[in-house]
Amino acid sequence: MKKKLLFMLALVVTLLVGWGATSTTTAQAATDNSLARVQKKGTLVMGTSPDYPPYEFQATVHGKSQVVGMDVAVGQKIAKGLGVKLVVKSMSFDSLLVALQTGKVDMVISGMNPTPARKKNVDFTHLYYQGGYSIVVNKSEKGLYKDKDSFKGKTIGAQTGSTMYNESKKQTTNTKVKGMTSVSDLILALQSHKLAGVAMEKPSAQAYVANNKQLAMIPSHFNLSASDTSAAVAFKKGSSSLVTAANKSVDQIRKQDLVNKDYLPAAGKYLKTNTVNTSMWHYWKAFLTGIKYTLIITVCSVFFGFILGVLLSLARMAQGGVFKTALRWLATAYVEFIRGTPMMVQVMFVYFGLGLIVNLPALTSGIIAISLNSGAYIAEYIRGGINSVDDGQTEAARSLGLTNTATLRYVVLPQALKNIWPSLGNEFITLIKDSSIVSIIGVSELIFQSNIVRSDTYRGVAPIAVIMVLYFIMTFTASRILNYFERRMQHD
Amino acid sequence: MTKPIIEVKNLAKEFDGNPVLKDITEQVNPGQVIVVIGPSGSGKSTFLRCLNLLETPTSGQVAFDGQDLTTLDTKRVNELREQMGMVFQGFNLFPNMSVLENIKLAPMKVKGVSDADATKRAHELLQQVNLDDHADAFPSSLSGGQKQRVAIARALAMDPKVMLFDEPTSALDPEMVGEVLNVMQDLATQGMTMVVVTHEMGFAKSVADRIWFMADGYIQENSTPDDFFAHPQTERAQDFLSKILM
Ligand SMILES: Nc1ncnc2c1ncn2[C@@H]1O[C@H](COP(=O)(O)OP(=O)(O)OP(=O)(O)O)[C@@H](O)[C@H]1O
Ligand SMILES: [Mg+2]
Repeated sequence: MKKKLLFMLALVVTLLVGWGATSTTTAQAATDNSLARVQKKGTLVMGTSPDYPPYEFQATVHGKSQVVGMDVAVGQKIAKGLGVKLVVKSMSFDSLLVALQTGKVDMVISGMNPTPARKKNVDFTHLYYQGGYSIVVNKSEKGLYKDKDSFKGKTIGAQTGSTMYNESKKQTTNTKVKGMTSVSDLILALQSHKLAGVAMEKPSAQAYVANNKQLAMIPSHFNLSASDTSAAVAFKKGSSSLVTAANKSVDQIRKQDLVNKDYLPAAGKYLKTNTVNTSMWHYWKAFLTGIKYTLIITVCSVFFGFILGVLLSLARMAQGGVFKTALRWLATAYVEFIRGTPMMVQVMFVYFGLGLIVNLPALTSGIIAISLNSGAYIAEYIRGGINSVDDGQTEAARSLGLTNTATLRYVVLPQALKNIWPSLGNEFITLIKDSSIVSIIGVSELIFQSNIVRSDTYRGVAPIAVIMVLYFIMTFTASRILNYFERRMQHD
Repeated sequence: MTKPIIEVKNLAKEFDGNPVLKDITEQVNPGQVIVVIGPSGSGKSTFLRCLNLLETPTSGQVAFDGQDLTTLDTKRVNELREQMGMVFQGFNLFPNMSVLENIKLAPMKVKGVSDADATKRAHELLQQVNLDDHADAFPSSLSGGQKQRVAIARALAMDPKVMLFDEPTSALDPEMVGEVLNVMQDLATQGMTMVVVTHEMGFAKSVADRIWFMADGYIQENSTPDDFFAHPQTERAQDFLSKILM
């Protein structure tokens, strides 16, 4: 499924990039101003997927959740070398390269291997780290496994889109490989015996084993080229001036072995402090932030979706000349199209696709995408509601001299709304739940926050249970409130 | 000679090629009460609705106060429409508003009358139809007769020059017919110009100035109530009356 999604996304982006390509890329190749641009804005935005300790992960620093890890240290070094400030942007690993290509981030540092396939699409710096692969297993079963070849008839896991995932598929026989987006999910699956082992980079494996007494690691013995076991910084294709500048810092890192000497030990410290207090109460702030954004997204989206829905439903019912027919046709096409495509793809399209034209923050993109989506659904409810109002109401209003618009506004719409109030309420409650989709573009709503807590505490199930309860409290409260208003409208 | 307030010339209306009104030429003078009668499905409602352009005529002219409505743009039609009040068989009160709000809506939103003035006028009209104690009720709590009286008050609130009634008592329980007819009779006495579609022959006899008998898409007879009920000219009318007066 992820594959398909990725493919769709790639298609969308290719289309969009291709569409703007003639002007932008050729211009870029001719005059590469990438370095100048970064220096001018004074910030270097680094994209990363912070669930991969010790490369990058969330830790609570001075009471605040932050992305830390060796990759962040690498990013800081590069930013310093360029004389600019580092800004870290979190998102899912799948989204990183798209974000790079669409200019959401200036570089990607996320334990990313510079594979030939990736090299076709982005420019890599020299390697800043050379690691190896291990497989994490349950300690109780450690005796059963020796290396990658011991998993015949079993299932192992790896992060979707990662090199390990592809190599695990290629280099094992009779073994099922399951991909998941986040490593904490994989570990959870391992501990609940859905997986027999999880392939990941050695430093990550070490971090997990050090922090979880039930885990153990074994060597993988994957047959790998240097580019598969090493990590480099990715930049947008054609930004050679930026790559050259970054390479100065990267070369220093390699020469002085900064990763092993400084960065990894520092990251390890965070991992230790991290595990001191893993009670869910300790993370109430993180969950509260999640609730806040979930509600912001939901309320804004229903509000704008409602306005859009009213306009669309009116457009869909427009009768008359060429203009109105065209309007009706457009609105119908829009509604059909939105209802016929997954909301997840719409969210990515708005964030990455529209992002090519205007640079929208993830939260705004999320609200726009979900408003656009719910507008289509609300339009259908409203249309149904309007049709359910007796024609006699319109006739009475028109016979009194009310204009078409006034008739709609004072007579038809209020009654239509009353009829569709329950459906609108359902849409609101559905959106409380479905707004979780924007976590893929890194908006810190409830799901995203729970993922952070999960990778922060190494406790897989507890945060899931917590957000389940939180979602239920929100939807239940919302439905009570909506019922109350529904009863209040029942005076006729 | 008084100028007619409504003049219909060669009016025809068809629905999907199906002719309902064929060729109607009549006129209504100020202060006149016209009662339109005719068999069910003969096009009485359609005719009434053509008068205020709720239905667009297929051909012919409908002039109100000398203005041909069929040639006007939407804005002007809205303006002339407010001078013709209409009362429907099914009341069509706005269920989301109280009785008072039902009456105030059009004066305030169409004419821009102030809330205070509209409220004052609404109470006067409610007194006129004997319902002032129900001003704050919602339509759902009223009986049919009360609803129809509110509907009449609502139409009167625009100070129309003409009132159109489409079978205002047909949906009522028999004991409520009288209260609505009384209100209409009062209106007639006050000199309101009215076009009334009804099956209430008693009302037609006592209140109408002219009876228009409609059948097969034409006004077959246009005569005084006395003439019409005593000596119907056409076979269609004789047939209709023999059925209705039995
Ligand atoms: N909007 C419409 N579309 C198609 N046909 C219609 C429409 N309105 C009315 N008709 C048809 O026109 C004819 C006349 O209808 P109309 O309602 O005017 O008759 P009526 O004399 O008022 O009858 P009744 O006494 O039953 O109220 C009927 O055959 C009806 O089916
Ligand atoms: Mg009728």
